[in-house]
Order: sequence, then C-alpha cells, then structure tokens
Amino acid sequence: MSRRTLLSVVGAAAVLLPLLVAHPFVLSLATQALIWALLASSWDLLSGYTGQISFGHAGFFALGAYTAAAASKHLGLSSWVGMLLGAVVAALVGLGAGFPALRLRGHYLALVTLALAELIRLVAQNWLAVTGGPFGIYDFGSFTGLPASGLARARAAYLLVAVVVAAGIRLMLYLCHKTRAGRGFRAIREDEVLAESLGINTTAYKLLAFGVSSGLAGLAGTLYAYYIQLVSPTVASAATTSLVIGMAVFGGLGTVWGPVLGAVLLFGINEGLRFIGVVYNLVAVGLVIMVFVIFVPRGLAGLRLRREGRALRGDAAMTGAGGSGA
Amino acid sequence: MESLLEFLIQGIVLGGLYALFAVGLTLIFGVLNVINVAHGEFFAVGGYILFCALVLLHLPAVLGVIASGLGAFLLGLAVYPLLIAPLNRRLGRRPAGSLYLVLTLGLSTFMQSSLLAIGGGDYRQVPPLVRGILEIGPTGVSYQRVLVLVVATILLAALFAFLRWHRQGLAVRAVSQNPEAAQAMGIHLARIFSLTLALGVALAGVGGALMAPLFNVYPAVGFPLTIKAFAITILGGMGNLAGALLASLIIGVAESMVVIVVPSQWQNGVAFLVMITVLLLRPQGLLGRAAVR
Amino acid sequence: MLEVAEVRSGYGRLEILQGVSLSVAPGTIVGVIGPNGAGKSTLLKTIFGYLAPYAGRITFENRSLVGLRPDQMLKLGAGFVAQAGGLFAEMTVHENLLLGGYDLASRRELAESVDAAYERFPRLRERRRQPAGSLSGGEQRALALARALVTRPRLLLLDEPSAALAPRFIDEVYAAIEALNRSGLALLIVEQNVEMILSVAHRVFVLDLGTNAFDGAPAELRQTDRIRRLYLGESRTESYAG
Repeated sequence: MSRRTLLSVVGAAAVLLPLLVAHPFVLSLATQALIWALLASSWDLLSGYTGQISFGHAGFFALGAYTAAAASKHLGLSSWVGMLLGAVVAALVGLGAGFPALRLRGHYLALVTLALAELIRLVAQNWLAVTGGPFGIYDFGSFTGLPASGLARARAAYLLVAVVVAAGIRLMLYLCHKTRAGRGFRAIREDEVLAESLGINTTAYKLLAFGVSSGLAGLAGTLYAYYIQLVSPTVASAATTSLVIGMAVFGGLGTVWGPVLGAVLLFGINEGLRFIGVVYNLVAVGLVIMVFVIFVPRGLAGLRLRREGRALRGDAAMTGAGGSGA
Repeated sequence: MESLLEFLIQGIVLGGLYALFAVGLTLIFGVLNVINVAHGEFFAVGGYILFCALVLLHLPAVLGVIASGLGAFLLGLAVYPLLIAPLNRRLGRRPAGSLYLVLTLGLSTFMQSSLLAIGGGDYRQVPPLVRGILEIGPTGVSYQRVLVLVVATILLAALFAFLRWHRQGLAVRAVSQNPEAAQAMGIHLARIFSLTLALGVALAGVGGALMAPLFNVYPAVGFPLTIKAFAITILGGMGNLAGALLASLIIGVAESMVVIVVPSQWQNGVAFLVMITVLLLRPQGLLGRAAVR
Repeated sequence: MLEVAEVRSGYGRLEILQGVSLSVAPGTIVGVIGPNGAGKSTLLKTIFGYLAPYAGRITFENRSLVGLRPDQMLKLGAGFVAQAGGLFAEMTVHENLLLGGYDLASRRELAESVDAAYERFPRLRERRRQPAGSLSGGEQRALALARALVTRPRLLLLDEPSAALAPRFIDEVYAAIEALNRSGLALLIVEQNVEMILSVAHRVFVLDLGTNAFDGAPAELRQTDRIRRLYLGESRTESYAG
C-alpha cells in the first residue's frame, strides 16, 4: 500500500512539474505525452488487464478525434460537448466490437479489431463531407474557455489535459482494484472457462472492459483533436496502434499505470530522436517492442513488482500460462 | 461486357498475387503457430531488392526476381532463431498466439521504419519486367500482370509438390500436425521452423519483386497486403493452404468486380467486410482450420 | 545399456520425479508401473529429452543423454512411442512409415525398412493409403510400433502401449513386443495394465510419488505384500495433488 501512495505522490509531483517550467515547448511535449498515456493505459485495460487483445485502438482514438472535430466544426459545439460526444461514440463502437469478442479469442480478436481500425481509416479517408478526406479536419478551434495565447494558454491547456487524463486513469485503476469488475477482468484474463464456471458474468465484464477502454481511447482522441487542432486519417493508422502497444509493453502489460510510464518515456525518446532524424524514431519503437516482449515482458512496472516477490502476472493471458505452469 | 471480362482477368491476376502472399503467411501460421504481421515488410524488401538490381545495378530482370526471393529467404532465416526461439526459451513453452502477434508487430514496425531510414520515403519506380499486351478477346492484359500470375502458379505448384513428396516437405507437415511426434522421428524442430518461415517470406519477397512495376516501391507498400492476407486466411481457414489459395482467388475477383457497383476507393473495404463477416458467422472459414496437409 | 541414476525432473517449478533410478540391460524388457501421478510418463519424457532433468545421470551405452534433444536420440539407437501412438493422423499409413525413416541416410535403406515393416505387420500394407486416423485402435498402435522400428533402434521406450485398447488388441500388441524382444530389441515400457507387463518383463520398477518403491523380477513383485497393498487401496498417493 505504501508503495502505491509513494507512486501517487511522485506521479502527482511529476505531473505538476511542467507547470513550473516557463517553456511552451516543454509544456507541449508534456501535454502530448499525457494524451498518449491515456491511450496506452486504456489499451492496457482491455488487452493486458482483461486479456482481450485489441490491435485496433487507433480506430477508437480516431473515432473520438473525428467526432469531436466534426462536432465543433459542423455543429459549432463547444469542446466540452465535443469531448463527451467523442468518448461516447468511441465507447458505443467499442461496445459493438465487444460482441464479436465474446466468441473470439486471441489472434482472431486482434485481427478483427485491426480490420475495424482499417475500416475506420478507410472511412476517414474517403468520407469527404464529414471527415475532410485525406487532408482531414483542421479549422474547428480548440479547447473552449482557454486564454488566447502564450504561456498562460499552454499552461491552461496542459492543466486541462492533465486533469482529464488523471481522471481517466484514476477511473480505470478504481475499476480494477476496488470493484468486482476488476476481479472479473482478472479472472477473464487468467482463465476464462474457469471464471464462467465459477459464475462470473464474463459477458458483462468483457463488454464493460471494451466500453470503458474504447471510450477512454476516444476521449484521448478528443484531447488530441483539440490540442493539435488537426485530425487526419493517419491518426487511425497501424503506426498509432504500434506505438501504443510499444508504450504498454515498455511500461508493463496488465498494470494500467505501467503504460503511463511507458508512454511518457517512449514519447520522450521518440521526440528526442526526432532531433536526430524523423525517420529513426519508429525503428526504436519496433526494437523496444521486440526486445521487451522477449526479455522484459512485464515492462518497467514489472521490474519493481518482481523484487517484491509477488509476481503480478500481467501478461498471463498472453503467455497462456494459467498459474502453476503445469 | 468487355469491362466485365477485363475486371475478371484483373481479379484473377490479383488473386494470384494474393495467393503468393497468403499461402506463405498460412504456411508460417500452420507450422509455427505464428501470425507474421511483418509479412508485408518482406514483400517490400523484395521490391527494394529488385529496384536495386534493376535500376541501380542494371541486372537482367530474371536475376532481379531471383535475388528478391533469395534475399527475403535469407532475411527470413534470421527471424526464428533471433526472435521466436528466445521468446519460447524464456517462457519454457509455446506461448499463446497473442504474444507472437505483438512480437511480429514490433518486427513489422522495425523493418518498415528501417526501410524508411535506409531507402527514404520516396516512391521508387521500376520499369516493367516484360512489356506488351496480351490480347484476350475484346480486351487485353499486360504481360507484366500475366507474368505475376504465371510465376505465382509455378511457385505455388512447386510448394505444394514439395510439401507432398519431398522428404523435408513431409517433415514440415509432420511438425505442423504433431511437433513432439515429429521430434521422435528425428526431425530437428528449429531447422524446420526456420526453413518454413524463410520459405513463407520468400514467396512474399518474390511477390514484391513481381509487383514492383505495378505498385511502385516504398516502405509501407506491403502493409495493406498484410491486412488483406489476414482476411484471406480467415476466409480460407487459418492454417489451411488450399483454403488460402481458394480464398485468395475469391477475394481477388470480388475486389476487382466490386468496382462495378462501388466507387473504387472503397475497394479495399471488401476484404475487411469479408473478414468481419466470416469471423462472426463461420470463424473456421471455408475449409476449416487444418494442419498443413 | 540404459542407466538412470537419481533423476529429478518435472515441469517448470512442479517437481514430479524426486530421485528415480533404473537400468535396462541389453535385450531385456523392463517395465515401469505405479499409481497415477507417480511420474512414469515424466520419466520417459525426461530420458528421451522432452524434459530436461534438474539433476541426475542418464546414460545410454555409456553416452550421457542429459541435454540432448529428442531428435538426436534416434541416431544413438533409441526410439520412443508416445501414449496413444503419436501418429500423424491426417497422413497416410505409408507417409507415417516414411517419416519413421526420416533419419535414414539413403532412399534404398528407407524403402527396405518400410517393406520390412509391412512384412511384420501385413494389415498395414492393405491400409497403406488410408489416413492413419481412420485405422482401428489396434492397427494404430501397430503402426506406431512399426514406425518406431524403421530405423532399427536397439532400445525402444513405450508409453502405455495398452492404453485405450480393447483386450484383443492388447494381446496382439504384447505378442508383437515379445517377438521384437526375441530378435534383440530392448524395451522400456511404462504401463498401467500391470498384468500384461508382468507377463513379459524381465525386470519391473515400481514408482510411487516420484521415487522408486520397488524393483525386481515380476515373480518377486507378485509375492511382495507391500506392493500388493500399493495397488489395493492403501496407497499414499490418494492425497497426491497430481
């Protein structure tokens, strides 16, 4: 328990730190890092913690982003409504995707979510009227109610994003550790058949995981839309999914908070490498995924947990090892 | 009417390409139980090798295509010992498919961005390997496309013959059906895994070379194919080679013909819709999940 | 010929064998019996390289087997027939036999060995083009045996050859085992069917809870009260969490 309070304190301090820096660029990096943190974390909730592998989270992200952008541009709605709408639309689609998941396992599920994301990207690329086609949507404004410009604006935007992201992550952690749903998720991940036979409503919990995960991914998308102020079809690309998975693997599968760490660090590395040459950053991401999957499956978060003796099998669903290894 | 024939022919040619790609992917899945998300990147590598051979080194087309297949094969040989075997070793047993997926996703990202880093993002152009048009009734098809179909047919026939009659082909089938029993026969699993993977991606590499004049060569050229190949393997039945072949033709023709009713930019959606439909209605696909018979 | 000394083995952290020893003299039949969960199959798998032992020595004709892979065993002259045969069900009988000879150097040797297999088990020749999975239980077991013999091993490990077989077939399988032994083949047989193995074995080892409980000639076994008790209710293995 005290480890968690320590982490919370350190986390809170780390989040507040950028506010003290008077450099808009740093704030910009920090803001984006937090958006990725929410996305990576939401992926982990579904794929790592509940064991339902999604290869299409870029699709939910894009749904949120496009919904928010379109709502503000075509309907003139404020960013608060846009964020809500984006999250809801993504959650609904995610719930819809959850239904086939009830029957599919492992790689089948991953492939169907991949197809879904590609479909979303296809629609984004071709539905000119709503999505602006290949060029995307770009003049829909930003967060309503922020200072007009300058450091104050950067700080306010950062604070807004930080609060929303923190709320989202707190919600997920609460779900996982303090409710029966969390136990349900873990049971599904460890041994679905056993969970069913114990009377756990796996259907309801799976759908819940899908809904919450995709809704929060969509929320991250809306944040992205209002912050970057440009939404184009690349948002739904496999590169996005790849980056998100890389962050989760790096930070620690199945922990929900590990990916936050992974996102911040990997995003930092990504941006840092950008100074060397735009082309190389994804190379590092690919390497990270491969190396960590093979050698450090529990990610950075797992490194500490193991020292504590009790191994949290965050990757149990993926490894297929249910317990004793017999 | 002649456009119908034209679309049909295009569809068959497309089906041939898809078959080269999907059969290789299916072979790898059937034997290693690994879904190779990086398959498209080997396709791209094939294209790049051909580009280097033809445009930079001015070698004859035949050598270029052979080099592509060989290059992809050699690169593929490295995948099992460097990536899959260490993962198996650490986990002590064959992990669930999802972990392999993430691993090969990492490989895909790594390969694609490496190609970007080494070769740049420009679309490289490659001249046709053969020129001219073959007249078929009221319409015609370029010899380049015919070449794709012919080579695909030859290579796939060779593969099937290899699996059916050659001693190592028998070993490959044995490993896909019962790896432990195969070991008791004296079959070295690691060698068969490496060989199979290399063979599968070599097919993709040759495909990449053959299609280079048509698709152009750039780092991400293979990825759309990978996703379609997933749809194809699911339609045909995962792990089923004959199913992959059949499904490739079906999807190829369907994609080609759908242009009659739907604007062409939605063409790519056919495969995804098919995949989602199959997974919902009949997950085992047309011919069912089978070992590499 | 085969020496197993103080072998400890298991699956990951689950230790099954806690110090097992046995030996097989050339040209003899050695049986391994014991209650479920005693580790009999684990023992065979460890000897043949499917599992790496935590400790102990395993030597075959004075060569250490520890650390070798199953596919290397054939070259040394040892073969393995898994429980339920380990056949390639979707392949034909003939293809299964061909695979049995995968390791052979020349095609002529392979053809001769496969022919010899058909000689020994004529019913297989009739069914040579049928998928192995479509054969009857007894025929499948015969195929598994025939396949393992193609490379002419000097020692054969059998894992419960009588499992799931009708009594008529069990007799046939054991008749074949005896015939093979008479021609010089040594066999290490793990069995649940105590009567059958006692009737053919030269020596029997009893395993219980992962260790040796008894070894000796079948006649000795029949006369030992302790052993009879092991099989008639007062077994400590009731509480063994398998």
